[in-house]
Amino acid sequence: MDTKNIDHLFRHHSGKMVSVLTRIFGLQHLDIIEDAVQDTFIKASVSWRKEQPDYPEAWLTKAAKNRVSDIFRTLKAQKNHRPNFSQGTDAIAINELFLDSEIEDAQLRMIFTACHPKLDARDRISFALKTVSGFSIKEIGSALLTKEETIKKRLLRVRKTIKKADLKFNIPQGKNLPKRLETVMEVLYLIFNEGFHSNTKDQLIRTDLCAEAMRLGQLLLKHKQTQLPECYALFALMCFHSARLEAKLSVNNEVLDLKQQDRTLWHFPLIRLGNSMMHRAVETDDFSCYHYEAAIAAEHLKAKTFEDTDWNKILKWYSALQILQPMPSHLLTMAVIYMQINDFKTAKTYFNQLPPQDLEQRAYLFYAAKADYYAGTNQLNKALAQIDLALEMVNNNSEKAYLTAKRSTWREK
Amino acid sequence: MKQFMMIFTGADYTDLGLSPDELQNRMGKWFAWGNKMEQAGILRGGEALHPEIRRIVGKNRTVTDLTSAEVKEIVGGYYTVEAKDFDAVEKIAQDYPDYDLGGTLEIREIMVFDR
Repeated sequence: MDTKNIDHLFRHHSGKMVSVLTRIFGLQHLDIIEDAVQDTFIKASVSWRKEQPDYPEAWLTKAAKNRVSDIFRTLKAQKNHRPNFSQGTDAIAINELFLDSEIEDAQLRMIFTACHPKLDARDRISFALKTVSGFSIKEIGSALLTKEETIKKRLLRVRKTIKKADLKFNIPQGKNLPKRLETVMEVLYLIFNEGFHSNTKDQLIRTDLCAEAMRLGQLLLKHKQTQLPECYALFALMCFHSARLEAKLSVNNEVLDLKQQDRTLWHFPLIRLGNSMMHRAVETDDFSCYHYEAAIAAEHLKAKTFEDTDWNKILKWYSALQILQPMPSHLLTMAVIYMQINDFKTAKTYFNQLPPQDLEQRAYLFYAAKADYYAGTNQLNKALAQIDLALEMVNNNSEKAYLTAKRSTWREK
Repeated sequence: MKQFMMIFTGADYTDLGLSPDELQNRMGKWFAWGNKMEQAGILRGGEALHPEIRRIVGKNRTVTDLTSAEVKEIVGGYYTVEAKDFDAVEKIAQDYPDYDLGGTLEIREIMVFDR
């Protein structure tokens, strides 16, 4: 068996199995379900040590089905909670829930549950990563730059809320759907971003998080009710960003900015996929912030060289984005773009509108950009002072090295 | 050539709270290790063992049941290999996947009786 073919098999199956079993037994039994799924993987990881089965997916699905009767037994023994048997205990009904389309449906229900408004916004990603994507507490902690203890508390709080508010395991209908979908997309994009600009100390990019967000995005596009323009736009955006992942780091693991990136490393199939997603996204005139962000990302990919970048077009998209969804980081970006086209005067007006603390943990980007501004206007001393501020605040080692290198080129001048 | 047994102790996966990905990753390492020994033509056999233990002790034949309770005492499995000497087995044992989980590997030579 080619080990490559089973990449992330367990992770993907974990989300599937937890979702389907939750659909059968109900959200209130999530603990038992997660334990059962974990047991299945332990069993697989031990019994496959010497040889993997010919059809690992089928093996795992069969194991999940076998677990159904175990869970019924456990629940019966506990007696305090009779599961909702209205879906029928007969084997045919349960078998049908394991059809591919039904598994996807169950996973979507899980994502929508994770984004329920009754849950604390900070708890949603942790819960989604745990149940839909099979991350361990340790992995969630390092992905979100949060202590394991905090993640544990968050997950516990979600469990409590689910029980107390008796949340239902479904995709909301009618006017509730767009609102919830908005949160779902936000969570997917946050997961993606955490992979794309990882905040962890030693790893700038976490491809697994990006891939996971895209896998979940695909689920949205497969479902009739969620095949909406903004979902296509979000997916296109993730394709465009991912196309550049390979080029973002040098062989020595240093950050490369757009200017330095080897454009031949950009992944063409992803760009093409992003383009066709974008065509679907603009079938109506209703544009979301994802549309504009995707348009910006596409504009960068269109340029043959950094110098060919059509900054004016990008500025146009940013202005539209800033009107739709005002954010301090957009102001900073616009300042940077004006510096690209050597309009330092306009750049300054954007810096002036923006208190750096508004950028929170990304405030170092403000100081780094401001340093560029001073360097560009021949005020090297001020530039050095700003970059020192940036260096004090930056967390990631590669970004730190990038700034340090920049600093030393200015000192030599 | 002599026959050796490598016995793996500790590191019961059940208690570690590993994520699906981590478990899969570990499985891949076991798989790679097994392949390596097979390709070197030294692997003679081996099995994984369930964590449940029933131990019978003393003249009263006291039976104790140690299910998962004492992780350190759990033998997770074994391989038998054929090698020149202890050093050769020690070398192949470098790839045992569970050292980082606190697992232990013991090497014992299998005694051959003259017929």
